[in-house]
Amino acid sequence: MTQEFKPNLVGYLCNWCSYAGADLAGATKLEIKPTLSVVRVMCSSRVNSNLVLTALAWGADGVLIAGCHPGDCHYEQGNYYARRRFALLKKILESLDLEADRIQLSWISAAEGKRYADIVNDFAEKISRRGPSPLRNHSKI
Amino acid sequence: MSARIGVYVCECGPNIPDRIDIDRVLEEISPLKDVAVAKRYRLLCSNDGKKYLADEIRSEKLTHLVVAACSPRDHEKTFMKVCLEAGLNPFLFQMVNIREQCAWIFSEKSEATRMAVKYIRAGISRVTLHEPLLQKEIKATPDVLVVGGGIAGVETALSLAGQKRRVYLVERSDALGGTAARLGRLLPHQGTDMRLIQEKIEHAENNENISVFKGCEVEDIRGFLGNFEVSLKRSGGEPPPEMFRVGAVVVATGFALWDAFDPDVTGYGKIDDVVTSLEFEAMSASGKILKKNGSPPRSVALIHCVGRKEKGYCSKVCCLYSLKFAHQLKDSQPAPDVFEFYSDLCLPEKTDQDVFEEAKKRGVRFLRADDIRVEGRNGKIRIAYRDGSAEEAVEVEMAVLAPAMVPAPDSDRLARMLNIPLDETGFFKEAHSMLDPVSAPISGIYIAGCASGPKSIPESVVQAQAASGKILSVLMLGKTLEPEVKVSTIKEELCTGCQTCLNVCFYGAISFDAFRGVSVVNEAICRGCGSCVGSCPSGAISSKQFTYQQLFKEVMEALR
Repeated sequence: MTQEFKPNLVGYLCNWCSYAGADLAGATKLEIKPTLSVVRVMCSSRVNSNLVLTALAWGADGVLIAGCHPGDCHYEQGNYYARRRFALLKKILESLDLEADRIQLSWISAAEGKRYADIVNDFAEKISRRGPSPLRNHSKI
Repeated sequence: MSARIGVYVCECGPNIPDRIDIDRVLEEISPLKDVAVAKRYRLLCSNDGKKYLADEIRSEKLTHLVVAACSPRDHEKTFMKVCLEAGLNPFLFQMVNIREQCAWIFSEKSEATRMAVKYIRAGISRVTLHEPLLQKEIKATPDVLVVGGGIAGVETALSLAGQKRRVYLVERSDALGGTAARLGRLLPHQGTDMRLIQEKIEHAENNENISVFKGCEVEDIRGFLGNFEVSLKRSGGEPPPEMFRVGAVVVATGFALWDAFDPDVTGYGKIDDVVTSLEFEAMSASGKILKKNGSPPRSVALIHCVGRKEKGYCSKVCCLYSLKFAHQLKDSQPAPDVFEFYSDLCLPEKTDQDVFEEAKKRGVRFLRADDIRVEGRNGKIRIAYRDGSAEEAVEVEMAVLAPAMVPAPDSDRLARMLNIPLDETGFFKEAHSMLDPVSAPISGIYIAGCASGPKSIPESVVQAQAASGKILSVLMLGKTLEPEVKVSTIKEELCTGCQTCLNVCFYGAISFDAFRGVSVVNEAICRGCGSCVGSCPSGAISSKQFTYQQLFKEVMEALR
């Protein structure tokens, strides 16, 4: 049954590293499953619980946040804020008994096209096995 | 007037139609609300394509433009320029990436087509929420403050003054030249003799475009690229010199020698004739390399890497200057025995090996040594060390320590004042150690020489020239600066005054208006990362072109 299920994922990618990494995945013609829609932001620190929870509430089966590797942030420390916010958000999801592994934070550099492809495919695979988000049918936009 | 959105799908040669059914895409897009035109074109970034697009904007009377093509990292700027030429505000445009992140990664054409439609719908629904933004222009002062009058500071000042910039050169001590001017002599590839350094100092002192402030320190700096306000204080306590404005700041504060070493291990301060490298340079400069009792040493130990383990980095220049000392000692009559106690030899420059080979020929002994202890014994100096597993010892009459280079004192105070970071070693952190090594992470502040870590004289000079070049290319005479447009804005009625945003802003772009109880963004400093937006608990902050509403539209289309 889960074989049939195609998850609907949202990926917030930082402009400088991860979005460029995604471009590189394309430029090197790596194959990625068509499950994740990319939303470009300038920095992973722009992504807060509001953006992630809204996506989940609107029925996203998973949300990926990707930024520069620690120490490599284009804005020096934005990814550290992203990491703290992510840790807090995970706890909030757990305490609400929502499936916290439907959100993922990854570091992907502009040179890591392969890593981007692997992360997206693995995330899609993981969420496929988990099945549709329980919030999917509750709220339709 | 209702919106008239033009959607143009670029074929990018065969790249996009090979993998995406563009006609199918246009069929789905055309009926959408406010879409006035939806067309395909073979190559929009070509000269013909740009002209076509500009004509379309004008003839179709478009109010918004969506281009579905390659990555915005490739051609967003190209099409923004087209908008500008065609009289459309370039921020009423959205680029949709259907090449790198769609056509090239999805193997099934039907799926790639479905995703392309999704992305284009997202672009259409966000573009109607775009605001026409304006590129602001800021007047900039072309003058420059150089903090530190060592070789890096002097070279920076000279390079900038050569291009008619007023340079304020501030030096804490009462002489220019820093450590380089205090050296006994230079190796061949660092300049034939010390006179060249003295000439540079004299040129700086006498240059009408350079105001030299010796015995002075920076009291305060406020501002941003193009507009810094600087006040100085005189170390002696006399009234400070005038306040002045500069457009850029160069940190050239140099280094100090590590001095926290254990006297029981190094003998320094406990045993006569154990000196540091700079003390040896002073003896060399005076022409008298003598022991405390006034006689020349008959044997000298040169001890490398003092503090390398403790500090955790190599100081880069000590091996070479220890070789210089060895040659210098061998030049005297009678020549003393010279021992180099090293752990690794760092001789990376193209002429360094010759200096090393020549030293070996002249009888300098190279001893690979660990766990070195300097002990006093019967008026002599005993160097005990381990060579592999064997315990060895050598007796000498003088020992010269090569301590690690460490950040100049008060670097942390200057860093706080300039709002720039130090790295884990305590030196000033570069914007990027490899790709942008003379810029600090804050615009308008540059770093040259040993302020960012140990460097040789030629490296410091290169950095000074590089920093000058960067400044000359940013602060051009008679030209204004164009700050970031997609900055953060604060809705004052929603701001609770919690000041969380002040703490997360790396650039210090946000200040607190205590009278009104709200945070305020300085748009000249803001870089548009959106960190404050993410941090604001009341949702009062928004970043232009990346508002919640615009991002939500994209998410909505993704989940449709």
